[in-house]
Amino acid sequence: MNPVLDQLLVAAAIGSAIGFFLVRAYRSRKKRGGCSSQCGCSLSSKGKR
Amino acid sequence: MSSTAEIADTVRHVAIAGNPNCGKTTLFNALTGMRQRTGNYPGVTVERKIGRFFGSHGEPMLLLDLPGSYSLQVRSLDEAVSRDVLLGRRKDTPRPDVIVAVVDASNLERNLYLVAQLLDLQLPVVLALNMVDMAEQAGIHLDVKGLEEALGIPVVPMIASKGVGLVELKQALSRQPLPMPARKPPIPEAMEREAQALAQELKSAPEVAYSEALLLLTQHEQGLKEQADEATVQKVQAAQERLHKQGIDPLSSLVELRYDWIADLCAQYARKADDSGYQLTLSDRLDGWLTHRVWGWLAFLGAMALMFFCIFTLAEYPMGWIEAGQEWVGDLAKSWIPEGDVQSLVVDGIIAGVGGVVVFLPQILILFFFLGMLEDSGYMARAAFLMDRLMSSVGLHGKSFIPMLSSYACAIPGIMATRTIENRKDRLVTILVAPLMSCSARLPVYILMIALLLPNGSSGVKAGIMLSMYAVGTITAFLMAWLFKKTLLKGETPMLLLELPPYRMPSLKNIIIRMVERAGIFLRRAGTVILALSVILWALLTYPKPADPELPRGEALAQSYAGKMGHAIEPLIRPLGYDWKIGVGLIGSFAARELFVSTMGMIYNLDDEHAEDEDSVKEVMAKETHADGSRVYTPLVCIGLMIFYVLAMQCISTVAVVWRETNSWKWPLFQIAYMTTLAWVGAFLVLQVGRMLGFS
Repeated sequence: MNPVLDQLLVAAAIGSAIGFFLVRAYRSRKKRGGCSSQCGCSLSSKGKR
Repeated sequence: MSSTAEIADTVRHVAIAGNPNCGKTTLFNALTGMRQRTGNYPGVTVERKIGRFFGSHGEPMLLLDLPGSYSLQVRSLDEAVSRDVLLGRRKDTPRPDVIVAVVDASNLERNLYLVAQLLDLQLPVVLALNMVDMAEQAGIHLDVKGLEEALGIPVVPMIASKGVGLVELKQALSRQPLPMPARKPPIPEAMEREAQALAQELKSAPEVAYSEALLLLTQHEQGLKEQADEATVQKVQAAQERLHKQGIDPLSSLVELRYDWIADLCAQYARKADDSGYQLTLSDRLDGWLTHRVWGWLAFLGAMALMFFCIFTLAEYPMGWIEAGQEWVGDLAKSWIPEGDVQSLVVDGIIAGVGGVVVFLPQILILFFFLGMLEDSGYMARAAFLMDRLMSSVGLHGKSFIPMLSSYACAIPGIMATRTIENRKDRLVTILVAPLMSCSARLPVYILMIALLLPNGSSGVKAGIMLSMYAVGTITAFLMAWLFKKTLLKGETPMLLLELPPYRMPSLKNIIIRMVERAGIFLRRAGTVILALSVILWALLTYPKPADPELPRGEALAQSYAGKMGHAIEPLIRPLGYDWKIGVGLIGSFAARELFVSTMGMIYNLDDEHAEDEDSVKEVMAKETHADGSRVYTPLVCIGLMIFYVLAMQCISTVAVVWRETNSWKWPLFQIAYMTTLAWVGAFLVLQVGRMLGFS
């Protein structure tokens, strides 16, 4: 295989893998949003109602 | 589901409420066609679940499955979810239009108390009289018409697990308009007057004000302060004082009056055919053995030993097939992709990394088959009963058993299940020790190490070692709980009040559905998280490339980023008998425990000395030696590594859940620190004490 293509494909794979975790982290941060009584607020002093 | 859009175009919002373990989630699954988890023990559902179904005229309805609750006077987080939804207190969920009150027909007397409270909520209620077959078997004659008349609400006899009564329930829910309860459960007159007066002063919406007022009026001081502001607390306490002066105890008189009313209802409409005395059922007789202080423990240990024995014997063939498949795919990739980094990434990174984890699917499925059988049959509640004596001696709440038991599968649902524990400190202790229970992700590590330890050992001995690893995790969890209760989180241990559900024949369909779901979760994880981590780990093991291309690959591996990390932590792990390659495995598996197996697969695939031969990774690891020629994977190192994985946190998802559940970084960081220290000390003691005793 062309060495440049070889390295490009590897770089794309590594970039995708890192991107996967970044997107996951972003999504879970966005999803968390507001807090409800289902979360653990009652366990921390700052979240106590 | 995308709740906002779907909530908007539904005709009716229906909430399912009822006592724990009366079949709410079974009914929810039957109506929606969904597959939410059910179990024959209380506390399976700890958060509300939303689904959709169609009424008898095809109108879309939104269905909420609420966690089980014995009363609206809540004691735990999961019960608070039910109360808040029913009172319309939650911003993310609209107040339901109708409540389906699910009751266990064979245990009406206990189930009807919550129904009486639901009738106070000024909402239409439909009574789903579930498990009528069990009631009949218990010799209870149900007068459905009479009960309907007495309660003033539609009553639908059902067997939700078989779909019996679903059509009638849908018809009752599709009525236009939905009838309000025609009768009110009894209440002392003076108390009703006070509740109405209090309702006028509350800021709640008019439709819930009376219900809120009644709940507050029957609340003890602590509960009041948790729910209301200072001004309201004073008003409620003044009303309670007035009631006291009239000889009415606001906390107990309503409860007593309603239980008398329920007793009358049951005597009239749920008569026992033979009331000559209490007779032992088959469940009772079985319980005599299975909860016995000696036979009970023997049965429990026997069941666990059988499970691990099957994991080793039955999984052997499918594992062989997967390994052969992995090898075939690897060879195919080698023949298709020209030599170079891409080929190495695919073969040594992706196929070795993902395949190394997927190969353990059969064992994990067998584990879930057994757990499903034990849960569905009702045995788990007996196991909780057995454990309670042990758990209370270390200060653990009896309710901690279910979360800890769930953690054998995965710590994440286990930690979420701690929401059933009322006391904050007890809940925290359980969260802190739950990840010490051996989860299914540790299975691949144990199996690999046991195979290295006993290459020709019998399945019985291997199962024994596996059982002892589970026992080490469980005993350490108890010891740590005791320590936390004595130091950080001091407090009294409350008594366990546990309802033992009747034994039921496990539903093979349910168990298979759960196994398929677990397989899906496992493979999805292998195809996403493990795949992405394998690519990153491969890159860390491959780059930077050595300046001298002729350098042996083993040397190149040592100079890679991962190799350097492994060498960096080597001084820390050398006292445990580990080399830098195991160090790389430990670092790699911090994200997920099963990655240890993948990482070792990659390391030995990439290593020049071993790449040419036909041996499997297991065999290569068995031959691995230190620079002085001594074996790396000695029996003590293998046992030490297993102990390390029993005790170490090594799971980023669990860290995230602990953070979410405790709403703080303090506890997850503390947990990582104490578990890693424990793991290091455990592995160190195994090696050093083992050597002192003359083992290698």
